[in-house]
Amino acid sequence: MKIYKNSNEPIYKQISAQLREKILIGELKEGECLPSIRGLAQDLKISVITTMKAYDELAAEGLVNAVAGKGYYVNAQNSEMLKEQHLRQLENALMIAIDSARIAGIDKNEVINILSALWTVE
Amino acid sequence: MKHSIKLTDVVKKYKDFTLGEINLEIPCGFSTALIGSNGAGKTTLLDVMCKISEKNSGDITYFEKYKEADDDYVRNNIGYCASNNFFPAEWTSKKVADVMEIAFDNFDKKKFIKLCERMKLDTPDSKKKKKIMKLSDGNKMRLYLAAILARNTKFLILDEPASALDPLMRDMLCDMFREYLTEDEERSVLFSTHNIADMEFATDYAVFMANGKVIEKGFVEELKEKYIMVHGSAELIANISDKLVSYTSNKTMFEGIALAENKSQLEKYDIAIEVPTLQQLSVGILRKAEKDNEVK
Repeated sequence: MKIYKNSNEPIYKQISAQLREKILIGELKEGECLPSIRGLAQDLKISVITTMKAYDELAAEGLVNAVAGKGYYVNAQNSEMLKEQHLRQLENALMIAIDSARIAGIDKNEVINILSALWTVE
Repeated sequence: MKHSIKLTDVVKKYKDFTLGEINLEIPCGFSTALIGSNGAGKTTLLDVMCKISEKNSGDITYFEKYKEADDDYVRNNIGYCASNNFFPAEWTSKKVADVMEIAFDNFDKKKFIKLCERMKLDTPDSKKKKKIMKLSDGNKMRLYLAAILARNTKFLILDEPASALDPLMRDMLCDMFREYLTEDEERSVLFSTHNIADMEFATDYAVFMANGKVIEKGFVEELKEKYIMVHGSAELIANISDKLVSYTSNKTMFEGIALAENKSQLEKYDIAIEVPTLQQLSVGILRKAEKDNEVK
């Protein structure tokens, strides 16, 4: 796991983002247990409360399930939720693109042209 | 939430200083930092918790049910370490091990030897053993820590454990706190510090003290959402100073902290807004306390 400790992106967000990705691409499978909160904090040399907050976020999204006294387990990912997650990521990425376009004074049609061109290259 | 110690209306009076009233719960399962300027009352508070000095009034509960610090269970499960002269100066690491073994049921001599080796101290079996008076302040603190951590306790109370330590040893101290908390989820650590930067990643809960009182407390991740760090050009400060909790400024720039609920108002100005580090939060909160005190 790669963590920026001096970034303005909160560390718990960095952890939840990386675990979320692992769950969504299937690297962490249904029923698998996440590393223990305290063990992960120890390995990453960060506070317990930080990993706890990251796990709470994943649990709130329904990606994992907290089992009292045992740990956090990966939930079955239904395709609807998977799509929802990807849609959210797509929207975020597009917002960044739109911001860049506005700063550079590039209009909507031009952006769509660039997107179409990139789409075919991919 | 479960707590390791709970203080209700605790007051300790000295001729020229009053601690309290203190109402405080130290959460179980976490590492708590007690942050404050010199003379804020941190040591007094820790001493009252451990009954090194008697409180004048108020109520303390240990591990959710015990009322007295000298109850057998409480005594055996709290590891307390003062910031200096914890053991007599003529003792060696062997004497420390011998006495700890007699004084506490749960002292593990093998663990003590391992800790001494890890912190590069004389072990009780070393041929030549330095007396404590011959040790540097940093090595004294290492020895105290080895003695405390070799006991199987539930709650560590440490007064300024980091201040005498070098950077590498501070890093190891943070590791040791996390290991202690990982080994048993019912454990907690409470330590005082006036320099939180080195301990930021080993702090879950923070308690801020000034003038004998607790002025702010909370889980670090929540405090980082409650406050924002702001900085910008000096000429803007006149417009926004009323929206800041505290700040400092010079002819070029200002910096300070504000409540996150004022973020949208502050975003109208051309200023930098960031998530504060615990160090920046501490400066901001303690600065406000100092200013409030001057006004009084």
